[in-house]
Amino acid sequence: SAAARRPWRLFGAMCLMRLPRITQPLEKEEEEVAALMEQIELEKSLYSDHEMRKLEEEEQLKRKMESLYDEDEARGKTVIMAQDLEEKWEQKFLRFKAAPRITDADKSNDRTSLNRKLDSNLMLLVKQKIGNQELWLLPQVEWQPGETLRSTAERAMAIFLGDHIQAKVLGNAPYGIYKYKFPRAIRTENNVGAKVFFFKAFLQSSDLSQADLKADYLWVTKKELGDYLKSEYLKKVNRFLLD
Amino acid sequence: GALLGCHRSYRSRPTHGIGRFKYLLPKEVPKKRKEKVQMKEISAGTEYQYGDLNIQMTSYDLCLVEHFAQYVHRLCNRLSIRVNDSYAMPTKTNEVLFLEERGSKMQLDAVLTTHQRVIQIRGLSSTFAPILLEIIQSNQPEGVHLLMKQHTEADFKSRLKARPELEELLAEMS
Repeated sequence: SAAARRPWRLFGAMCLMRLPRITQPLEKEEEEVAALMEQIELEKSLYSDHEMRKLEEEEQLKRKMESLYDEDEARGKTVIMAQDLEEKWEQKFLRFKAAPRITDADKSNDRTSLNRKLDSNLMLLVKQKIGNQELWLLPQVEWQPGETLRSTAERAMAIFLGDHIQAKVLGNAPYGIYKYKFPRAIRTENNVGAKVFFFKAFLQSSDLSQADLKADYLWVTKKELGDYLKSEYLKKVNRFLLD
Repeated sequence: GALLGCHRSYRSRPTHGIGRFKYLLPKEVPKKRKEKVQMKEISAGTEYQYGDLNIQMTSYDLCLVEHFAQYVHRLCNRLSIRVNDSYAMPTKTNEVLFLEERGSKMQLDAVLTTHQRVIQIRGLSSTFAPILLEIIQSNQPEGVHLLMKQHTEADFKSRLKARPELEELLAEMS
């Protein structure tokens, strides 16, 4: 006889994460400790070559001002003084402009762009129709017999984001599971409920121009997940999210 | 003057060899000088466990790399992952020369040193590996490049120095 069909339907879902680009800002205590350590290091440190050279040249200048000792020092006369070098470096530094930490997308709170919240993980949420409800979920697709759960999750990713995403799936084992039973109206002998297996992947490239997104999508941080996901689902998802 | 008391024991006296004790101590194996550094076996790893893995961290900033390497080492200790070795590769110095061509050609030099630390791990289970990778990646400091790869013979050989005279002599002999 055929193998007993389990009453649960299986889904594979993919949690696609964009890793943070910059480090998080330091806490108040961390900043104080860092400043203190820097001061201690500065006081304990010795002069570097450049500073020694600067001090020697300052002394030479002083001696020149007071009395003329030009002949002795004319032999080792430096063309470029250390002070000039320092000024040049200062000017170069002032010309350098670092990229802003808070981007435009942050200010406008545009949740569909990848550029916001550069210091935390962003996860992909998609609006999917389950039963007769439209819900915000991690992209999921039903498992077909004969394929591994990991390939189901990859297929889910490909369906929603197109084929050309560079994402690195972490491992063959699922990270979490969420199971729920269907409401009594739909429940049959063979179809008690569904189990969703979550997989994780890191987004390698931030260039999503080639991806054709078919449904509504959002990139949210862990704290904002609560705005979109249902509580039970959220509990299970939070279990495998770091940070 | 008077003779000082002399405590020499003669061979005929019964007190001959009274202070000997070295024969009572356990035998010391004579230390070999400059043992040839043998390569330890590199385990290949079974289906569910990785063999020898190298976590290589490179950066221009020495303090950052050192502290990060210490952090990773301690993390592995806490997670009871066996750490075979943790060593440093020799630092590479790069001289950066700017050639400005606006009238007078000036060359501004900058000297950059690249430091690399390696931590070798054995027996990482395949279910735990992605979690470890995620933890390390999320705690990576700015400016530090992380690379995880399997340990090969070439990696081991890169730590040893080539000896040209020995090679010449060997070539002459054969």
